[in-house]
Amino acid sequence: MKLIQLAYRRVIDIESKAHWERYVFEDSYKELRMQFQLFNTDKKHITFSQLVAQVPEAEKLHFLVSAAIAGHISLLGKIPYVQNTLGITVLPFNLYRFEIIDSNINNKNAHRVAVIFYSAPVVLHEIIGEHLLVSLDPDNNNNERKMVQTELIKLQPFLSIYSIQYQHHATSIISNNILS
Amino acid sequence: MERKQFLSKGLTALGVAFVAPMAKACSKNDVIDSETEEAIDSSCTTTPTETEGPFPTKTPSSLVQSNITGDRTGVVLTAKIKITNKNNNCAALAGAMVDVWHCDAAGNYSEYGGSGMQSTNYTSVHWLRGRQTTGTDGLVTFTSIFPGWYSGRAPHIHVHVYNASGTSLLVTQIAFPTDVCNTVYTTASPYSSRGTQDTQNSRDNVFSDSLSLELATVTGTISNGYTLTHTINVNG
Repeated sequence: MKLIQLAYRRVIDIESKAHWERYVFEDSYKELRMQFQLFNTDKKHITFSQLVAQVPEAEKLHFLVSAAIAGHISLLGKIPYVQNTLGITVLPFNLYRFEIIDSNINNKNAHRVAVIFYSAPVVLHEIIGEHLLVSLDPDNNNNERKMVQTELIKLQPFLSIYSIQYQHHATSIISNNILS
Repeated sequence: MERKQFLSKGLTALGVAFVAPMAKACSKNDVIDSETEEAIDSSCTTTPTETEGPFPTKTPSSLVQSNITGDRTGVVLTAKIKITNKNNNCAALAGAMVDVWHCDAAGNYSEYGGSGMQSTNYTSVHWLRGRQTTGTDGLVTFTSIFPGWYSGRAPHIHVHVYNASGTSLLVTQIAFPTDVCNTVYTTASPYSSRGTQDTQNSRDNVFSDSLSLELATVTGTISNGYTLTHTINVNG
């Protein structure tokens, strides 16, 4: 049996439309402009990339700015945009990472950030074409010959397998079905 | 206000509806959203129920909280920081945003671990960091724990003061009286396992030339907690 964590990266910029993305965009830009000043003591820098190149400590801004958007992320519940083949978002998460791709304290249009969502561990049963056959409850996969509910999730851009754990059951039928 | 008008004002309008973080995703009948509309609707008609998608409310920054302890343990510290305006005869400065952050009992700051793609649990990551806005008395109050120390620095709390529009007014630090630190670091758990600080205020390269202006008053006991009071004068 293989347990995997999926990671999905969502880029958010001025063009983003969903409510939560607008909130993340606006609040992260406001927070960045505030905390940017902590590192831009000589007021020479305007863009995030400039600042980080000259003041390596400014890498902390990814973390510091994330405080402004954590509440929005916590309301999502499921990883957005990653749907099963029935069109339903099904992957729960409790881990994420926020990153600032670049920004400009004088030009909101240049503000680009990303949120990487990390799924809870799921069981990977098979890979069917471009789809992952997974089940969401790892604790419910230990009984052989038992029907388990599965989800079929299509591989797509910005979706990746972040971690994997092999669990060996000598007599498990499941272990005969997975890709080795 | 008409629904469309309300929506057209977008984030600014929603910003009024700052609410406590919610554990669950909001339904279309979200109470807070309705309250906001009712509050600005002079005709006093029943607010219609409408679908506004999965995110009708706006959550405040997780920095904005008075208790910044998070999952850290230590001796309780209440920090009362007053912001005064040098450009107004040192009168209290209202509406200033005050960020504070400090290390935990072991001398660590909250931040992302490692680098690159490492994941982070958003529910606990921003401990011992917070933001409050001063009232007319210029005061902000944080509940936290007594900071620990790390090698090369005297114990301290970082403070960043902004005006109401977010422009930085001052970045500074607050120093602690040595006698109180000695008591906490030698007798209170979990501090006592590390003992006293390795750098005194007089030898600290931040405080040594300005200690009189940066040294807080700290009173209390280990069992009852300590209260820190300090005034910071900015060019408001």
